[in-house]
Amino acid sequence: MIRLEEVTKRYGETLAVDRLSLEVGEGEVCVLIGPSGCGKTTTLRMINRLIEPTSGRIMVGDRDITSVTPEELRRGLGYAIQSVGLFPHLTVAENIVTVPKLLGWEASRMQARVGELLSLVGLDATSYRGKYPRELSGGEAQRVGVARALAADPPVLLMDEPFGAVDPLNRERLQGEFARIQKELHKTVVFVTHDVDEAIRLADRIALMRDGRLQQYDTPENLLDHPASKFVHDFMGADRALKRLGRVRVDAVMRSEVPRISDGSDAVAAAQRAACTAERFSYLVDQDGRLEGWIDCRLLDRGGSAESAITHVDWRATTVRPDTSLKEALSHMLELGFRSIAVTDETGRLLGDVALAGIETTLTEGDAYSAGGPAEGGAQ
Amino acid sequence: MRRRWTGVALVGAGALVFGYVVSREDWWSLVLRSLFPDLPVVVFPSATLGQLVVQHLGLVLVSSAVTIAIGIPVGVWVTRPSGRDFRELVSATVDLGQTFPPIAVLALMMPLFGIGTPLPAIVALALYGMFPVVSGTVAGLDSVPPAVLDAARGMGMGRWQVLFRVELPLAARVIMAGVRTSVIINIGTATVAAATGAGGLGSPIFSGINTQNGALVLEGAAAAAMLAVLADSMLARVEDLVTPAG
Amino acid sequence: MGVQSASVDRQRPRRRTDRVAATGAILALAGCVALPLYALRANRIVNGTPLSLGAGGPAAWMLLALAIAAATASFSLAGKLRARVELACAVGMMGALLWALGFAAAHLAPDVTSPARVSIGAGAWVAVAGAAVVWFAAVHARPGRAWRVGALVALVVVVVAAAMWGGLGRLSIVLEYAVQGAAFWSAVWTHIALAGTSLGFAVAIGVPLGVASSRIPWVRTAVLSIVGVMQTVPSLALLGLLVVPLAALGLPGIGPLPAIIALTVYALLPIVRNTYVGLTQVDPSVVDAGRGMGMSRWQLLTRVEAPLAMPLLLEGVRAAAVMIIGIAAVVAFIGNGTLGVLVILGWGGQVDDLTLLGAVPMVLIAVAADVGLRAAGRLVTSPGIRMEVS
Repeated sequence: MIRLEEVTKRYGETLAVDRLSLEVGEGEVCVLIGPSGCGKTTTLRMINRLIEPTSGRIMVGDRDITSVTPEELRRGLGYAIQSVGLFPHLTVAENIVTVPKLLGWEASRMQARVGELLSLVGLDATSYRGKYPRELSGGEAQRVGVARALAADPPVLLMDEPFGAVDPLNRERLQGEFARIQKELHKTVVFVTHDVDEAIRLADRIALMRDGRLQQYDTPENLLDHPASKFVHDFMGADRALKRLGRVRVDAVMRSEVPRISDGSDAVAAAQRAACTAERFSYLVDQDGRLEGWIDCRLLDRGGSAESAITHVDWRATTVRPDTSLKEALSHMLELGFRSIAVTDETGRLLGDVALAGIETTLTEGDAYSAGGPAEGGAQ
Repeated sequence: MRRRWTGVALVGAGALVFGYVVSREDWWSLVLRSLFPDLPVVVFPSATLGQLVVQHLGLVLVSSAVTIAIGIPVGVWVTRPSGRDFRELVSATVDLGQTFPPIAVLALMMPLFGIGTPLPAIVALALYGMFPVVSGTVAGLDSVPPAVLDAARGMGMGRWQVLFRVELPLAARVIMAGVRTSVIINIGTATVAAATGAGGLGSPIFSGINTQNGALVLEGAAAAAMLAVLADSMLARVEDLVTPAG
Repeated sequence: MGVQSASVDRQRPRRRTDRVAATGAILALAGCVALPLYALRANRIVNGTPLSLGAGGPAAWMLLALAIAAATASFSLAGKLRARVELACAVGMMGALLWALGFAAAHLAPDVTSPARVSIGAGAWVAVAGAAVVWFAAVHARPGRAWRVGALVALVVVVVAAAMWGGLGRLSIVLEYAVQGAAFWSAVWTHIALAGTSLGFAVAIGVPLGVASSRIPWVRTAVLSIVGVMQTVPSLALLGLLVVPLAALGLPGIGPLPAIIALTVYALLPIVRNTYVGLTQVDPSVVDAGRGMGMSRWQLLTRVEAPLAMPLLLEGVRAAAVMIIGIAAVVAFIGNGTLGVLVILGWGGQVDDLTLLGAVPMVLIAVAADVGLRAAGRLVTSPGIRMEVS
């Protein structure tokens, strides 16, 4: 979909980008990463001709990007940046339809599109439509920025650290939503970041750059497990095994056959019935299958009272979703002090659970892979 | 630092040249005669250019001195606890006053002080010049970061010490900008004040207008323009000098 | 204990003397007592002789009483009540002053044919200023919306009534107006027309120059320094300096042409500077986003940069307008029939009231332009960027 051929950008004596060749397949997320000044942003900005390359050729689709005017090219490429750059004098709706307006869409079509996009990025269309950027929080502004980039449904999205200015909590959430949206829309995305975790989580392929040169271009797994050089190894960090967990979703290792007791009225009787199963814990769900808590069967066996054996919980605080990364699930477990954690859907219905042991298996597999990596361990 | 002083030296040299040029009545008459060969008189007969400049500067200096002597303390006072009640009133008055046409202020002073003396002109200039000085002082003091004041108080400075050692030095540039605006406006308004008998460089201009003598108009206009530009660049240098380094 | 001390804290600021209103009241009092409110002239040219307060009849004593009442209220009352009493006193003072002036005029110069004139004295100006200060203080002490609006309505009613039945028509400045009649209005329109035309030219020239300055560094250096120097040249001197080049072109050195040139030149600086600053302070990321989404340079300027620079640009236009309304008075010296002409005639003939007849409307026009352009600025500024343009 996007192909860079021997692209070079020179500023006077300094080479910002040095004979870079790169191909991004249709529907792929390519993350450009590297230390600051490595040329990743320059590369991104050459794709929509905000910067003209000194030499080389860039193709988008089957077209050389120099065959059309920069304006026409850019209207076909979604663009989202770290500082968002929402137009402060325009409402959220007017911001979103910037490109459709340039393309001359009809008003009714633009109106409908605003509604679609706002709900896509998880904002309430009616209440956000008429707001001005200064009334938005950082995270909300960032969502509107993404909606604006998607407005004319461009096949390609260029994103320059789009979540860079948001606090870590919101950033995690925005990444999750981006992954969800991408699964739905299958855009071809070029994404610049300096955050390795973000790259690993979102990328189909990562292009690691340094001093304008491409160091390695591969899947996150291969970058972690088969780094091409010491630089790649060091850049990806020492906790590679842990990082791998960021790529694995909970549903990949989830156990769905879990002991569950569905009883609305008499929890104690239910607990006694549960005592005979082999598991230590049994989940307690309501009639709709929504998680209400769990029963410690061992405590019952030892003659503890039924009341003391039952723990009631709010599912929102103590469970994970199937699309949560294992890394996040592990962090939740460590925080809560659990050896396993329940998995529910958005409404709290119990789907299964993930045990520490299951995660350990994944980790061991990772270790086995990385044994093939370079021997110079001990890197930070 | 060195560049600052080069600027000062340049302006100083400019002032000397200006002083010499206005004292050479013969040069002016030569140039003006060549421009206006047919006129009976080409330089202002009632006073030499040097005298006019001195008169003009006198008007401006006296009124600006009054302006500064009142304006800066008023600006300081309304930012102190004792004057805070009056701050809004003073700001509103200053805003309103700055929209007044200078000639209207001059005109309003006439009935009060009578025509034919420099007194109404001086009062009008001092009053009109007050507005930028007060607003500059308030803006300058407001621009001092509260953290700096906290630090100063935390180190045990008294109110006056904070004012003189911290606030005024930090506000000096903005205050000076207000003074500069005020003085430049005063030089301009003083030219018009000649019509009320206050004297100064406006006199040859009015005399020239009344007798349809372009040479006299040009004589006064050129000297007034030079004086204003010179004063402006001098005050700009002062602004630079009072700016604390860094 | 805690509750008690809190309530004391809350009351203390209310109990304090309203020093601003007190100052205004004392100013008004001084205007009545220490300075003449009105002066009698045997004819329009001779200097006036001050009249005693009593010449204004009952209204004058009412003015004095209201000033004392306002002062008392500012010391002894508190809260909303005080604000309302002060406001009522302020309106009352202005009304009483007008009636007193009218009374004096009607009684001391009753005959239309008599040359005697009653002029506004220094005390009247001071009293008006004092009443305005009391009004200002009262409005800032939150008397409530109804009271604020009511006071304005009451003032208008009092002014109209005083003009119709209070003898204001016999006041010297009004007689001057009656004499000038059409000439006065023609001066007003000439004043507005000259300033308006020049402002139009200045916008037409200044905005493109400002845009160019924001794009090309050498243009900025050249334009801003030239326009800056022009600004410091006294207006009268600039008019004088224009004589030679205009004569060289065979154009008149007096009349509307040099006036419009000079006014345009003075209006340029605030417009160019604010256009330039307005454009350069636009957040670069906003411009980058616009470019990245495929806006052409023109679209970027008209759809993004211009709307964002608009508040500052309009502030520049406002400053320029106020300034050239003032300078439009000066161009009267080179043969333009603006309000400045009345001032000059007044100075020349020593007719103070003619001077006032020129100066007061000039002030009103400048203030109206100021208020109007501020309002217009708010109107055309997007609510998303409405900012505190002082």
